[in-house]
Amino acid sequence: MKATLAVINQMQADGVIGRYAIGGAVGATFYLEPSATVDIDVFVSFKHGQGSSLLTLAPIYEYLTARDCQAKGEYIIVEGWQVQFLPPGDALGEEALAQAIETHVDAVPTWVMTAEHLVALALQLGRPKDFTRILQFIEAGVLDSNKLDQILTRYGLLARWERFGDRFLRKL
Amino acid sequence: MSDWMRRVLDGKRETRKRLAELPFSEKLILLEKLRDRSLLIASTSLRRRQLHRG
Repeated sequence: MKATLAVINQMQADGVIGRYAIGGAVGATFYLEPSATVDIDVFVSFKHGQGSSLLTLAPIYEYLTARDCQAKGEYIIVEGWQVQFLPPGDALGEEALAQAIETHVDAVPTWVMTAEHLVALALQLGRPKDFTRILQFIEAGVLDSNKLDQILTRYGLLARWERFGDRFLRKL
Repeated sequence: MSDWMRRVLDGKRETRKRLAELPFSEKLILLEKLRDRSLLIASTSLRRRQLHRG
């Protein structure tokens, strides 16, 4: 994983991408116990002035395939890990990317989404595995409830959060 | 819930807490091992047969 992150950092230094943040299961692992996953979700922004307003991941694929990385469906294999590069789909994703926190894997710097943004994005996606992850965050006690409340309010997710609570947090 | 079951659940919770408190670098090494096991399980003929049955 360290080698994968080093390649992504180099791609950033070379100006192919702007800011990036790890989300999904690998991002959640920053806060929780590790749980099985086969890929890394990397949310990326693009530097301005690349000559086109059309958002495309082509420069990433071109950069990486020129460096012996192999494209595989929606993934690209970077130093043994399947990486999925994702532009933030909406304002919540943009904020999650902007507010990601810096950490290090050994000496390699990287950025991980905050726990509250990971929960809000999981709630927005709403698949069974996302609900499981939200429950893990709650049980681990790592969420700042005020911060989460503000995010859910800002992005219209409060009603969905209440439904989630009714479904999964109400005592039998 | 029985005392025995409560102790089992407490033990699991403690293990998860201990794992969550590891440094990120160490957790990523565990994640790699989990990924390798997942891919190995997914590649077995037994698993493939199960998937075909739906």
